[in-house]
Amino acid sequence: MNEVNDPNARREDDSLLAVARNLGKSYPKVFRPRDRLRALAKLLVGNGHIDSVPVLRGVDIDVTRGESLGLIGENGAGKSTLLKLLTGVLTPSTGSVEVRGRVGALLELGAGFHLEYTGRDNIAMSAALYGLAADELREKLPQIIDFADIGRYIDEPVKHYSSGMVVRLGFAIVAALKPDLLITDEVLAVGDESFQKKCVRWMEGYLASGGTLILVSHSMYHIQKLCRHALWLRQGEIAAAGDVFDVTQAYLAYHERKSAAGPERGIIAAQGVEFHLLGLAVNGTEQETSLFLDQGDSLCLTARVRSRDGREPTVAFGIARADGTAVYGVSSEMDGVAPQRIDAHTWVAEIVFSDLSLLPGTYTVKAHPLDTEGVRLFDTIERGIVVRGSTREFGLVRLQHRWGPAVKSDAARDAGDSDS
Amino acid sequence: MTRDDSRLRRAEKSWAIAVHFIRRELRNRYLGSISGGLWALLQPLMQLVIYGFVWTYVFKMRLPGGDASPAAIVPFLALGVWPWNAFSEAVMRSATAIQDNAGLIGKVAFPRGVLVLAAASASFLLHGIGFIVVVVVVELLGIPLQLAHLPLALLAFALLFALALGFGYLFAAIQVFVRDLSQVLGQVLPLMMFTAPVLYSREFLPERFRQWLDWNPFTFYPEYLRAELLGMGSVGVAAQLGALGLALAILAIGYAVFRRLDPRFEDFL
Repeated sequence: MNEVNDPNARREDDSLLAVARNLGKSYPKVFRPRDRLRALAKLLVGNGHIDSVPVLRGVDIDVTRGESLGLIGENGAGKSTLLKLLTGVLTPSTGSVEVRGRVGALLELGAGFHLEYTGRDNIAMSAALYGLAADELREKLPQIIDFADIGRYIDEPVKHYSSGMVVRLGFAIVAALKPDLLITDEVLAVGDESFQKKCVRWMEGYLASGGTLILVSHSMYHIQKLCRHALWLRQGEIAAAGDVFDVTQAYLAYHERKSAAGPERGIIAAQGVEFHLLGLAVNGTEQETSLFLDQGDSLCLTARVRSRDGREPTVAFGIARADGTAVYGVSSEMDGVAPQRIDAHTWVAEIVFSDLSLLPGTYTVKAHPLDTEGVRLFDTIERGIVVRGSTREFGLVRLQHRWGPAVKSDAARDAGDSDS
Repeated sequence: MTRDDSRLRRAEKSWAIAVHFIRRELRNRYLGSISGGLWALLQPLMQLVIYGFVWTYVFKMRLPGGDASPAAIVPFLALGVWPWNAFSEAVMRSATAIQDNAGLIGKVAFPRGVLVLAAASASFLLHGIGFIVVVVVVELLGIPLQLAHLPLALLAFALLFALALGFGYLFAAIQVFVRDLSQVLGQVLPLMMFTAPVLYSREFLPERFRQWLDWNPFTFYPEYLRAELLGMGSVGVAAQLGALGLALAILAIGYAVFRRLDPRFEDFL
């Protein structure tokens, strides 16, 4: 049942549809017409080296047949550039990319429609561009028009379309192509609810019948629903790749920490407040990236506190949900324990939550030093943690519970489901 | 979009795309207007009537040999104006073919050269049809044409197409980087027309200027067509080989430059 959580689930023996090695792309810096002229001269007679800004660096991808890969990342992280490199619209600046089989690509909106032409004409154009013969098109045309479901607009110029209708038509064409590899960029964001559902249903069917998908979306819901693996691009580099839940949760945690980012550590230290944190280790690691835990794991937080005047600090630890809702908080003073003194000015406090009852999701753990009396709060360090799991319970924590007269349901008996 | 198919299959697909773009070009220009395809036939005839009128009665042109009748002047002009229209339009339109389709280039992977090929082909198709209409009308009016030489004339048209396509590839690639190019072309092409014997004959020029016409790559075409179809003057073998060599060289250079710049188009569009 946890097959999706297994990073080794990727089948190595399958044929590779897309391979990228050390793939990179730089865009030339051209601000003035003079730069363009200079670039032209260099390309024609020089070594072709142009001053450029890298937007994608060192990307390695293997997409096997049947794979579903979600691309996530902030705006400008290089997602669209990567898709364009995969489809062959862009030429790589470094590294190589190779794609086999029929590729259906929906890059940005519109799939290159001509605004002056009717939907029907644009279907014919796209079909030719995708290498569909005239008789194949005749056969598929009703299917395309039916899928797009834009009524009489099919015979109107595309310039009269709403952005949703453009996407409907674009998706309908790509869907009819039955590509080996489908590459789509933010299609689902524009269509209305019913079309989104239709697309998702189609993509699920496509994947079930052995199709391969690379999907860019800002909707983690869609990514998690459709993709088995995800790749997170940050500033043109792969920040994380692997199982879709791990990567999307790390990505979300990164965003929360980003929006909740406090002042820099160095600044607080320099202010010379009475107590400040030297560091916070989560299960032994001080890395900024989110830590992944499974339900029931133990969580160990270790805070190092510096005391300016050598007075003993109180140390508080807390866990909050991604949206800031407090889950639990406790301080050394409340429990009547004292941090361990390491040297004249340094104390260490450690707390262990064994058998973590947090439900799957993204959480923030926090550490604060307080004064000896546990009254004034001086400093905060936060870290993201991600609790993995695929339970369908909701809420924050699993509360101890039992059902009345306990009888296993038929469904649970049939499925042999061991989940409580 | 299939990236691993054979060369033949790729060429076949490129051709299918090119045909599609040619059809689109033709429709762009004619089917959008109310009179539709009829306009494609009427326009060259009207142009011919007006040119014939102006050159006969306003400019009072006298052909080499002294003939000043409209019946002689009209075919003379036709053999200069039609190749010129085809050539200049093909060069102008193919020069912006890549830039005009920037949206498509950024979204779908396909051989970009077909855009230039389609722009040039559409111009030659249209003006080629116009040319044939003119030849038929001239023939119907009882003006003697050496129709046995028509295949040679069409061969010259094919060569002119190669020349226009070569310039087209060259300019389309450069236009992506230097946006002023199409404006400059708009200024330079009319100069090229007036420095070639399109609306006049070499014999009209004072002796010392006549050689200068040879520097214009277009000069060969009206002179050759008039020699073959009207029996007016003659074009030597050296000039024929020169025109052949030049057209093929421009095509080769233009295509080489296009191929070299092609991978960077998307960066500069």
